[in-house]
Amino acid sequence: MIFESHSGLLRRLLRGLLSVIIVVAALFPIFWGLMTSLKPTRDIVQFPPSLLPATVTFEHYVTIFKAGAFGFLLNSLLVSAGTVVICLGIGALAAYGLARFEFPGKRAVMVAIIAVMSIPVASLLIPTYTLIAEIGLVNTHIGLILVYSAYQLPIVIWILAAYYQSLPIELEWSAMMDGYSRLQALWKVVLPLSRPGLIAAGLFVVVFAWNDFVVAVTLLSSEETRTLPIGIYNFLGFYGREWGPLLAASMVSTIPLLVVFVILQRYFMAGMTNGSVKG
Amino acid sequence: MMDGQRTPFQAYRYLLPALVLEVGFVFAPLALSLYYSVHRVRYYQLGDFNGLQNYIDILSHRLFLNSFLVTCSFSLMALTLTFATGFGLALFLNRDTAGSILLRTVVLLPYVIAMLVGSMLLKWIFSTDAGLVPLAAAWFDVASPTVLADPEYAMAAMVANGIWRDSAFAMVMLLAGLRSIPPNLIQAARIDGAGSYMIFRRIILPLLRPAILITLIRLLLHFANVLTFPLILTGGGPNNATDTLALRIFRIGFEDFDLGKANAMAIVLCLFNIAAVVLLLAVFRKTRGGQSL
Repeated sequence: MIFESHSGLLRRLLRGLLSVIIVVAALFPIFWGLMTSLKPTRDIVQFPPSLLPATVTFEHYVTIFKAGAFGFLLNSLLVSAGTVVICLGIGALAAYGLARFEFPGKRAVMVAIIAVMSIPVASLLIPTYTLIAEIGLVNTHIGLILVYSAYQLPIVIWILAAYYQSLPIELEWSAMMDGYSRLQALWKVVLPLSRPGLIAAGLFVVVFAWNDFVVAVTLLSSEETRTLPIGIYNFLGFYGREWGPLLAASMVSTIPLLVVFVILQRYFMAGMTNGSVKG
Repeated sequence: MMDGQRTPFQAYRYLLPALVLEVGFVFAPLALSLYYSVHRVRYYQLGDFNGLQNYIDILSHRLFLNSFLVTCSFSLMALTLTFATGFGLALFLNRDTAGSILLRTVVLLPYVIAMLVGSMLLKWIFSTDAGLVPLAAAWFDVASPTVLADPEYAMAAMVANGIWRDSAFAMVMLLAGLRSIPPNLIQAARIDGAGSYMIFRRIILPLLRPAILITLIRLLLHFANVLTFPLILTGGGPNNATDTLALRIFRIGFEDFDLGKANAMAIVLCLFNIAAVVLLLAVFRKTRGGQSL
């Protein structure tokens, strides 16, 4: 017995130690970036470095907002919102088609969905740029929104179709017996019940659209259309080794997303595994 | 379900907008890419039919082989270490205590923030200006390396970037797999006197195979096409030591403005992806006969 409680204690200690290591490894870079962004320029490169800022300053945040970060922030919001609306609108319909009908070509559609989910974005960049340039949508938000939607629709459809399938079909039947059309039943019965699925899918789209850098840097060229990540990338060229503004801009991108994510993370995890998202 | 018999194509009314978008912005670009890849293109102007000249040019370019090898070695190292870390995390956090739930969220944060931002944060940590590397070197009493200016350290930094960001992905996928194993199976084995190791090897690993395979494929595709890590963290340097295939394509397209060659290379990268997945599947099948999985 004594031996057992000893090893139990040791186990708990080891677990605790491992937990601390995991937390530090995951969060230190974010924490250190935040602290650096709050230090005055001369303190940033002092040696040995101090973990916490001796004096807190928001000068770097002022610098980047003077350099146009507010416009980038608005562009990011606009593009993310547009992509979510298109993805959920089109995705909710398509998922319904997949979840509630048997039809020729269904297997091919499912395979195509998985294929598009697996195609790495980077290998599509040049082809997409070529096409977008050909149809004259380079450097427009609408072009970016359409491309983002095409990339994120498969996962939205996948999550929503799994969710619809977990709902009892009798509800739709009784709605239709009460005189609803199929579309009305979808809108008034299925969608209200699918809120957790819609949140999971929407969160995925937001995280992608808000964070994307490689597609936007390819398709956008002017200052006015830039989203936040492109703004940060250009700061990297402009400020070079001036880390204060660079890290301040990084934090402006990160903090709103982390707040949304921490509130809704359980939906995100369920969506990642494409399983049904139980409310 | 019932309407299916009546009008078999009714479902396509619901699917149509999605199909249009996918065909328009995923499949059409790939087709157009094929077309461009066999033409001469300078400064975005489509020129004459060029046959396979673009392919010959890029494959015989002195930097192609380098990028290919860099991509292979990065993918292999990042895949192995990220998968191992994610698997460890999944086993460690496969319980529903408040602490484990909190830790799972914490581990996901590097995955959720923008890749660009993550790489920037690590670039700052590894930079000499930050003073952390010299400090750590002083602790261990070794000479301080300039991490991002040394080919081997730069590659290690890029692999670290992959582990830091993507272990969370592996963890969540494998956790879902672990959750789908019926607990009474493990209890029954325990009653029969099986130890933890035996249970892991004879029950958990075999039942986890599908989850393991999906995780490996998605991680491999992610790493083999990595653009943001080298573009932000290392700039492809030093001396092209971290110049991945995706970065090479990006540079040919947007620094040399040669969309013909860039499209040819994008097609090559797609073929490379398919080959990598096929290879992974073959290796995976092989292990089935063996004892280990």
